[in-house]
Amino acid sequence: MKHLRKALEKLRKIKRESYHHLIHKLHRKHKLHKKTLFYIKEYGKHSNVPKTIIKESIKILLIASIVSSLGGLALEHIKNNLIAIVPLIILLPALNDMIGDYGSIVSGKFSTMLWKGEVKNDVFKTLKLKKLFFQIIIIGLMTAILSSILALFSAHFINSNISSIVILKIFFIVILDTLILVSLLFFTAVFAGLYYFRKKEDPNNFLIPITTAIADFGNMIVLTLLVLLIF
Amino acid sequence: MNIFDKDFKEILGSQVVSIIGGIIAGIFLASFQNKLILIPGILILIPGFLEMRGNISGSLASRISSGLFLGIIKARNPDKKIINGNVIASFLLAIFVSFCLGLFAFLFGYILLNIYFPKIILIAVIAGIIANIIEIIITLVVTFYLFRKGHDPNNVMGPFLTSTGDISSIIALLIAMVIV
Repeated sequence: MKHLRKALEKLRKIKRESYHHLIHKLHRKHKLHKKTLFYIKEYGKHSNVPKTIIKESIKILLIASIVSSLGGLALEHIKNNLIAIVPLIILLPALNDMIGDYGSIVSGKFSTMLWKGEVKNDVFKTLKLKKLFFQIIIIGLMTAILSSILALFSAHFINSNISSIVILKIFFIVILDTLILVSLLFFTAVFAGLYYFRKKEDPNNFLIPITTAIADFGNMIVLTLLVLLIF
Repeated sequence: MNIFDKDFKEILGSQVVSIIGGIIAGIFLASFQNKLILIPGILILIPGFLEMRGNISGSLASRISSGLFLGIIKARNPDKKIINGNVIASFLLAIFVSFCLGLFAFLFGYILLNIYFPKIILIAVIAGIIANIIEIIITLVVTFYLFRKGHDPNNVMGPFLTSTGDISSIIALLIAMVIV
């Protein structure tokens, strides 16, 4: 036990950036999980926890902020149209979350399929992948309809002047926006996932940031275009 | 091929929770539509601001969950150094990212749309501070609570934080707009 404690202390003092053979030794000798050892090294006694977190997160957060702001710029461009359509304002946060979530779900599930060797050479003949596509499309459709109903119902209490044409247009915009983006995210995840997997890299580390960025930016752009075209 | 399996129900369930949170946030937003018209550049800020909450609190919940599962953070008597470090990092990140979002909204608005409204930076920072105080407390309390009750916080915290994050972010933005 004393020996283990000493070894762990030694591990904590090693510079975070370098992978040390001690991790491998401790893992084999004391049957400690590599992730446990990694966490001990990352956030150990001698590490500066806030500095480590900030250093690792700041770049991706800034990139995400720029992408989202560019998407927001498209919305600002049609601000007057958008604000006049109360149900669309109500739908904005829900749509943003929904599309982003589908990107994460598809990315996570497809990465797992790749790691488990479940993806066939002809990728689109993989039954599990086909099933995932239909599931995501059906859920996307159901949630698009549900969110539109909830938004229209809420808008009715805020501003009761919603004509039946506006109701139809809202349904049309939300369903089309969801279907376009879910399909785009699905195919992006599949092609990018295969690309990174064949390069012998973990698709998990790339797919979620890529699909989230496409979801955020794409949602604002598609929504802006649809509002300009339909209203 | 059974499409309507357990996965289908789980994804649909989490999406419904996320939608309800988003719609509540949207109702708050729509209730203040007059204020939205008056503040130039606010729609540039909103998407990034909503996303930031999920990114920062989601990572916080995930890090704490990993620590709890690995046994490095004790559920009953947590390691103060790791918890405080996480809270400080999340708070500093949120302030910095809020400032950047405000700055982007100002710059994009000024350069591309010819809108000069520097107060948007102040709105972003104030809203970032308010939203963070609410969201960090919620994240810590719920993550520990779920773990103590024997649940995996990773399965619940994603949709939960997206929903509460949207609501707290919109309320914080509206408060900041009123203050500024």
